[in-house]
Amino acid sequence: MAALRVLLPRLRGPLRPPVRCPAWRPFASGANFEYIIAEKRGKNNTVGLIQLNRPKALNALCDGLIEELNQALKTFEEDTGVGAIVLTGGDKAFAAGADIKEMQNLSFQDCYSNKFLKHWDYLTQMKKPVIAAVNGYAFGGGCELAMMCDIIYAGEKAQFTQPEILLGTIPGAGGTQRLTRAVGKSLAMEMVLTGDRISAQDAKQAGLVSKIFPVETLVEEAIQCAEKIASNSKIIVAMAKESVNAAFEMTLTEGSKLEKKLFYSTFATDDRKEGMTAFVEKRKANFKDQ
Amino acid sequence: MAALRVLLPRLRGPLRPPVRCPAWRPFGANFEYIIAEKRGKNNTVGLIQLNRPKALNALCDGLIEELNQALKTFEEDTGVGAIVLTGGDKAFAAGADIKEMQNLSFQDCYSNKFLKHWDYLTQMKKPVIAAVNGYAFGGGCELAMMCDIIYAGEKAQFAQPEILLGTIPGAGGTQRLTRAVGKSLAMEMVLTGDRISAQDAKQAGLVSKIFPVETLVEEAIQCAEKIASNSKIIVAMAKESVNAAFEMTLTEGSKLEKKLFYSTFATDDRKEGMTAFVEKRKANFKDQ
Repeated sequence: MAALRVLLPRLRGPLRPPVRCPAWRPFASGANFEYIIAEKRGKNNTVGLIQLNRPKALNALCDGLIEELNQALKTFEEDTGVGAIVLTGGDKAFAAGADIKEMQNLSFQDCYSNKFLKHWDYLTQMKKPVIAAVNGYAFGGGCELAMMCDIIYAGEKAQFTQPEILLGTIPGAGGTQRLTRAVGKSLAMEMVLTGDRISAQDAKQAGLVSKIFPVETLVEEAIQCAEKIASNSKIIVAMAKESVNAAFEMTLTEGSKLEKKLFYSTFATDDRKEGMTAFVEKRKANFKDQ
Repeated sequence: MAALRVLLPRLRGPLRPPVRCPAWRPFGANFEYIIAEKRGKNNTVGLIQLNRPKALNALCDGLIEELNQALKTFEEDTGVGAIVLTGGDKAFAAGADIKEMQNLSFQDCYSNKFLKHWDYLTQMKKPVIAAVNGYAFGGGCELAMMCDIIYAGEKAQFAQPEILLGTIPGAGGTQRLTRAVGKSLAMEMVLTGDRISAQDAKQAGLVSKIFPVETLVEEAIQCAEKIASNSKIIVAMAKESVNAAFEMTLTEGSKLEKKLFYSTFATDDRKEGMTAFVEKRKANFKDQ
């Protein structure tokens, strides 16, 4: 049998039982993911809603969950009907961190050679805007996931924290970078060095989240915001998102140059002409994403 | 006649009717789109009021040209120490002039460096305080953010609604707003076009003070007077240093700051200021 096995060509793909089943399931409305729920929402199904769904583990971000998340994101990115995405968790927890059991026995060599956490970056490469609707705990990797999104709406009972220090490590998915840029040095240092939590109200005041809603209505409000964004031209929205993100990647002068080039580029689109003409003619614009 | 015209030297200047009249009027005379005058106890404050009320101060080419002319004149006026830029009670500036932009092509924009003349405000050495009553939308919001300080009236509203017109901010809106209010709120504003109130803007760090509508401009002038009572050359260095925080890393910015700080010791005003402090008297700065 061993000899026969050697004769078989080494196949990758469906003939070999997949290590993680969810990666092989076709995405379709209603198809079963194991760790997430993904569906379209909004009046014209222009919003992709992804709900992290690992409630017994408070949505701890295991490898399988991130893979499914990436798959759903990719599908929504390629869906010409979807204009914006909402990412949420449960009422009690958005995501209470990475999966510590998965990390517990890793060595430095494992991390470095296997680019540990690299697949988390997919979310940051999305052209379409992603709104994080955070109810409950956004801890560690959960907080980092929310901060990778473009907009954060928080439920009244949301709590944010980077408690990695209590586990003898540090944030590894942008926590020290995005948190500091959002809330300033003093609060970021305090959170990262003590592991203390901040409330939704603290987070809004500090600039981490832009709106707070009651727990029951948070996701609906986020979907409404996503619908508003999705009603604009997708190509222009992508340029606007790119421009805002550039503020964290270059100096003000260089960022302003990039913004100007993107701004000039909008004049090469039909949607810019349609948008301004509609404004002058006092009518609603009819964008075509071209 | 045509032959004679050829013999005349090609003259630029008043002999050719100017394309835009306002560019040729001497300062102090009538601008078409703005009002410019000196204010404050010793006329140390230059006040520029955008004055195109029927268009809610929509920022047409002519207005920006006049604004630049007034800024330049105040910059060169050795009596003026700081400038206040304001609009009407109802609108600071409700945006760029869409009719001027409607039919532009990408080629027009790129070849003619569309919006480049807006940058003059960012090159001023003297501080500019934006006193924003009412709407600061699109280009109006960007203009306010180019200023060094923003004071808002209680009814002020800020927005970057370019997305609703199928375009994006083109005069620094995505850059300055994000640095001021953080990613979540900036993304929300830029991608939805939604407005924020003066109170939101203060909480988010975009404006530093809020005043009643009626007293806003006076308060801004008082702040400008306070600034103007300091040494102009040192004020220029302080402004340059703060702006450097957005142009380089902390380490490099601190190096620049230190060099500017050392440079203050080459000035008379630094010596006068510290001596006055030690002698418990008022400093008498000479801008040297």
